[in-house]
Amino acid sequence: MLILFLLLFVGYVAGALLPLCFPAKPRTQSLLAHGCAGVASGAGIVLGLVGLFSPEPWTVSVQSTVPFLSLAVRLDTLSAFFAFTISLAGLAASIFAVDYVSELERKVSIGALGALFNGFLLSMTLVVLADDGFFFLIVWELMSVVSYLLVVTEHEKADVRYAGLFYFIMTHIGTAFVAVTFLFLYQTSGSFSFEAFRDPAHRLPEGIRTLAFLTALIGFGTKAGIVPLHVWLPYAHPAAPSHVSALMSGVMIKTAIYALVRMYFDFLDGQFPWWWGFVVLTVGAVSALLGVMYALMEHDLKSLLAYHSVENIGIILLGIGAAMIFQSYGLKELAALALLAGLYHTINHAMFKALLFLGAGSLLYATHTRNMEEYGGLLRRMPWTGAAFLVGAASIAALPPTNGFVSEWLVFQSLFLSFHVPDMFLKLMMPVAASILALTGMLALACFAKAFGISFLALPRSLHARRAEEVPFSMRMAMGLLAAICVGFGLGPVVVVPLLDRVVAPFIGVSIAENILAMDGWTLAPVSIEFSSLSTPAIALLLVAMGAVGMALATLIGGSVQARRYKTWGCGIALSPRMEYTATGFVQPIKRVFATIYRPTVKLETEFLEESRYFAKRRHFEFHVEPVFPKYLYDPVIVFFTTLADRVKVIQGGSLHLYLMYIFATLIVLLLFTV
Amino acid sequence: MILAFVLTVAQAMILLAISPLLVGLIRKVKARLQLRQGASVFQPYADLVKLFRKEPVISTTTSWIFTATPSIVFSSTLAAGLLVPVFISHVPLSFAGNIIAMVYLLALGTFFLMLAGLDAGSAFGGMGSSREAIVASLTEPAMMLSVFAIALTAGSTNLSTVVHQTALLQGIVTDPAPHLMAFAALFIVTLAEAGRVPVDNPATHLELTMIHEAMILEYSGRYLALIEWASALKLTVLLSLMANVFAPWGIATTPEPAALGIGLLVYLVKVAGLAVAIGVIECMFAKLRLFRVTDLLGVAFILALLGLVFFYILRS
Amino acid sequence: MLSEMGSQLIDLCSALLLLTCFAIVAQRRLAACVDLFALQSAFLAGTAALVGFLTDNHHVYVTAAMTGVVKVIIIPVVLKKVIQRLNVKRELVMNVNVPVALLICGALVILAFFITRPIIPLGHVLTRDSLAIALAIILIGLFTMIARQKAVTQLVGFLVVENGLFLGATAATHGMPFVVELGVFFDVLVAALIAGIYTNRLQDAFDSVDTSHLTGLKE
Repeated sequence: MLILFLLLFVGYVAGALLPLCFPAKPRTQSLLAHGCAGVASGAGIVLGLVGLFSPEPWTVSVQSTVPFLSLAVRLDTLSAFFAFTISLAGLAASIFAVDYVSELERKVSIGALGALFNGFLLSMTLVVLADDGFFFLIVWELMSVVSYLLVVTEHEKADVRYAGLFYFIMTHIGTAFVAVTFLFLYQTSGSFSFEAFRDPAHRLPEGIRTLAFLTALIGFGTKAGIVPLHVWLPYAHPAAPSHVSALMSGVMIKTAIYALVRMYFDFLDGQFPWWWGFVVLTVGAVSALLGVMYALMEHDLKSLLAYHSVENIGIILLGIGAAMIFQSYGLKELAALALLAGLYHTINHAMFKALLFLGAGSLLYATHTRNMEEYGGLLRRMPWTGAAFLVGAASIAALPPTNGFVSEWLVFQSLFLSFHVPDMFLKLMMPVAASILALTGMLALACFAKAFGISFLALPRSLHARRAEEVPFSMRMAMGLLAAICVGFGLGPVVVVPLLDRVVAPFIGVSIAENILAMDGWTLAPVSIEFSSLSTPAIALLLVAMGAVGMALATLIGGSVQARRYKTWGCGIALSPRMEYTATGFVQPIKRVFATIYRPTVKLETEFLEESRYFAKRRHFEFHVEPVFPKYLYDPVIVFFTTLADRVKVIQGGSLHLYLMYIFATLIVLLLFTV
Repeated sequence: MILAFVLTVAQAMILLAISPLLVGLIRKVKARLQLRQGASVFQPYADLVKLFRKEPVISTTTSWIFTATPSIVFSSTLAAGLLVPVFISHVPLSFAGNIIAMVYLLALGTFFLMLAGLDAGSAFGGMGSSREAIVASLTEPAMMLSVFAIALTAGSTNLSTVVHQTALLQGIVTDPAPHLMAFAALFIVTLAEAGRVPVDNPATHLELTMIHEAMILEYSGRYLALIEWASALKLTVLLSLMANVFAPWGIATTPEPAALGIGLLVYLVKVAGLAVAIGVIECMFAKLRLFRVTDLLGVAFILALLGLVFFYILRS
Repeated sequence: MLSEMGSQLIDLCSALLLLTCFAIVAQRRLAACVDLFALQSAFLAGTAALVGFLTDNHHVYVTAAMTGVVKVIIIPVVLKKVIQRLNVKRELVMNVNVPVALLICGALVILAFFITRPIIPLGHVLTRDSLAIALAIILIGLFTMIARQKAVTQLVGFLVVENGLFLGATAATHGMPFVVELGVFFDVLVAALIAGIYTNRLQDAFDSVDTSHLTGLKE
C-alpha cells in the first residue's frame, strides 16, 4: 500500500515539476503533465480499491520539526472511497486535458497549467487522506490556493479576475470556520491528531458540540456550495478551464462532504440531537431546489452546470440529513441506508458532473463560445460528444436505468421510511422534503431537456456552431470512459452497494449489505422486498425488450414503408434558426410560475417603422433574475464592513512612527496579557 | 417461471389491446354528451393501422433523437405498465421496480418527447416542450406525496404489495379519509400527466392551446402511430393504477384461471368506468389557461399533503 | 360509544367538507364558489343526519333538514341573484394568489390538528378528526375573507366559518340545544340577507363590489 501511495505522490509531484523543464514545447509539456497525472490517479484508483477491501485502516506518519504538525496519512474505508472518486475523475480529466489544453496554448503557459493541475489533484487526495488536523488545514488551504490559481488561468479577462477574487474571499471565510472547528476539538483533546479527536474520552461539552456542529456546517458548507453560501460557485467553477471545472464541480466540493461525514459521524461519534439532522435536511432541500431553479435561468452552459452542483450537493445533504435524524433516534439500519444513499449520490454526481463539464469543454473547444443560444444542431456534427453528453444529462435528470436514478431512488426510500421516526413533526417534514426532491428532479429534467435540446438539436444558431467539428480522440475517450461508468454504476448497484456498505458500517455500527440485496443480489430492496425493490438490470432489459416489441409491431402491422426526408414546415417560409425556440423562451413559463422566487425584471424596447406602427424595425429585449442572496444577504454585510473600515480609518495617520508605535503598543499589551 | 412469463406477456397484450379502446370510449362519451353520434369506439384501432401503413416524413433538420424517440416512449410506457397490477394483484415483474421507478419510467418518455419536440426546429415543437416542462415539473411533487400517502396506508411502496393487501381485506378500506384525499390528488395528476382537459386538450390543433400535440406535430406515419399508442397506453396505465390501488376489489389474488377471468372482467369494468368519468369531465370543463394550471396542481399537492396529515393523525 | 364504521363514515363526511373548502379557495368564479358552498352545506346536512342517526338524537334531524333548506337552497339562490344583478363573474385581483393561498390553508389544517390534539381525549368527541376539521374549516373561512376582495366571496367565507362552527358543535356536543340552533340559523339567514343588501349598496355607491374601495372611507 505504501508503494501505491508513493507512486501516487511521486506521480503528481513529477507531473508538477517535469513540464517546467521543457519550456516552449507545449505539446511535450501537456503530454508529460497529464501523463504523470494519469499514472498517479491510476495508482489512486487502485489505492482506493485496496483501501475499500482492507479490513483495517492503513496509516503512515512522519513527525516533522514544526510543532503540532505531523504528516500523518490514514486510509480507512471512507478515505478510500473518496480517494477512489477523486482519482477516477482525475484520470478522466487527465486524459481529456492532453488535447484540450491546446485550445489555451496561445493564452497561458501549458507547463504552469499542468503543474497546477497536478498540484490540485495531489492536494485533494491528501485532504481526504490526512489524519492530523494541522496537516489537514495545510492541504485544505493548498487545495484552495491552487484552485484559485486555476480559476484565474485566463486572468486577462476582468470577469475571471472578479470570479477568482470572490472565490478567494469566500473560501477563506470558510477556512476560518474550519479552523475554529478544529480549535474546539483541540481544546478538549489537547492534540491535533484525528486519533485524539475521535477518542470518546475527549467528548466535547454540550454547548461546544453544538457550536462545533454549526461552524463545521458553515466552514465546509462554504466549500460545498450550500445555499446561501453558494454565491461564489457559479462564478468560480465556469471561469476555470473545463477539465479543471470538471474536477472542481465534480470532486473538490465533495471533499467538504467527506469532511462533514468525518466530523459528524466520526469525531462527534454520531451522537446528536434530532434537530442537527433537521438543519442539514433543510439546508439540503433548499440548496437542491434553489440550485436547480437558478440553473434553469442560466444560458451559459458552464454556469448552468455549476448551479447544478449546488442542487446535487443538496440531494447528497438530504441523504446525510436523513441519516443524522435516524441516527439520533437510534434507527441504525435506516441511518446506514440514508448515509449510503448520500454517498452513492456523491460518487454518481462526481462522475456525471465531470462528464457534463468535459462535454461543455468539448463544445467550447469546437465552437469557442459558452453561450447556449449560439449552439444548435451539434449532434449531427459531433455525434460522440453528443451521445456522451446525453448519457450525462440522463444521469443528472435521474432517468432509469442510469446511476443518478439509483441514488435518487435510494434517497427517496430513506425519506419515505420516515414513518419509523417517533416525532410527528419530522414524520410530516421528511415526506415534504421528498416532494421537494421530486420537484427538483423534474426541474432538472426540464433543465437538461433545455441544455441538450438547445445545444445539440435542430438547426445551428450561429456561424460557430455551423463550423463545429468533432473533438480529438483523447477528449472523446475521456467522455466515453465517464459515460460508461455512469451506465455501469446505474446497472450494477448490486456491486456498488456492498462496497459502500463497507464505508458506512464502521461509522453507524451495523452492516446492511445483507438486508439490502435480495434475489441473489440482483435486486436492491431496502428494508424488505415487500416494501420496495429496484432492479436496474431488469428495467434495462425490459426497456430493450419493449422497444423491440414496438418496432416489431410497426413492421408487422405496417410492413416496411420507406421514410421520406423533407424540410420542416415553417408556415410557408423557409425555416431559419431565428424561428427556433431559444433557451430563454424555453424556460419562460417556469420563470413566470416561480416569479416569487426569481423576481425577474424584463425590459422590452421596440423601435417601429416610420410608415406603420404594426411593423417593428428593431427590438431590444433584456431580462434579469434578481440575485436575491447577494442583494439581501451579502450587500448589507459588505456595506457594514466598509462603513466600519471608514470609521477605523482615523487611526491611519500616514506617519511611519505612528505605525511603529501601534506595533509597540500591541506588543506591550500582549506581553501584559500573557503575564 | 413459465407462469410468470405467460402472465407478463398477457398483461402486456391486454394493455396494448385495450388502450385504444379507452381513448375511443372517452371520445364516444364526449360525442354523446354533445348530442353527436360520434365515431365508433373502435375508430382508434383503424387510425393506428392506417398510420402504421402510411409513408412517414422525417424532417431534414432532425437527428437520430427524432426517429429513436417513438420507440423509447413506447417502450418506457409499456415497461411502466408492466409494474402496475392489472388483473392479478401480484405482478411477476414487481421486483424490478416500485412505484417510484414507475413514475421515473414515465418521466423517461417525457424527457425524450421534449427533446424530439425541439429537434425539428420549428417553433411549435419548442413551445410544446417548454409547456410540457412546466406541467410535468408541477405534477411530480403532488404525485410523489400522494404515492407516499398510499404507501403509508399499505406499509409498502411496491405496487403489488399495496394492491394485494388492500384486496385481501375484502374491500374494507381501513382509512377512508386519507385514501379519498390521495385518490383526488392522483386523479388530478392523471389528468395532467395524460394530457387531458382541463390541463391539455388532445383534440385541439390550435397553437395557443396545444401541449402534447405541439411536441409531436412533426411526426407522421408509423412514428406517429407509436407515439399515439404510447400516449393511450400512458392513460391506461394511470387509470389501472387508480382503479387497482383504490378499489382492488375483484382482482385475482391467486393465479387460478377462474380468478384470473373474474379479475380481468372486473378490471375492464373499472377502467371503463374511469374513462367514462374522464369523458364527462372533459364535457363539463373548459381547458384552463396554462398559467391557471398551477392552481389545479396546487390543489392536488395540498390534497396529497392532507392525506398524509390525516393518516398520521388517525394512527396516532 | 360509536361503532368503528359509523365513526369512519363521519370522518369521511368531514373530510369531504374540508375538500370543498379547498375547492372554494382555489375557485375564481363567484358562481362556482356559491355552488361549492351549497355542496359543502349538503355534506354538512348529511353529516348532521348521520350524527342524529348514530346517537339517536332526533332533534338533530330537524337541524339537518333546516341546513338543507337554508344553506343549500335559500342562501345560494339569494347569492346567485346578487351575482347576476351585479354582473360580477370572477375574482380578478387577489390579495394572495391561489397556490400560495392553498399552501397557507394546508398549514392551517396542520395547525388545527396540532391545536386540537390535546383536547380530543378529554371531551366526548364523536370522532378523532371532526373537531380538528371543524377548526380547520373555521380558519380557512376566515382566511378566505382576508384573501379575497369581492364582497360576495367574503360572504361565502363567512358562511364557511359558520359551517365549521356548526360541524364543531355537532361533533363536540352531539348537537346543540334546539333553541340555540334555531337562533343561529335565523342569525345566519339575516346576516346573509344584510350582506347581500350591503353588496348591492356597495355596487351602487362605487360601481364595484370591491371592498378595497372602502379604504377611502377613513378620515
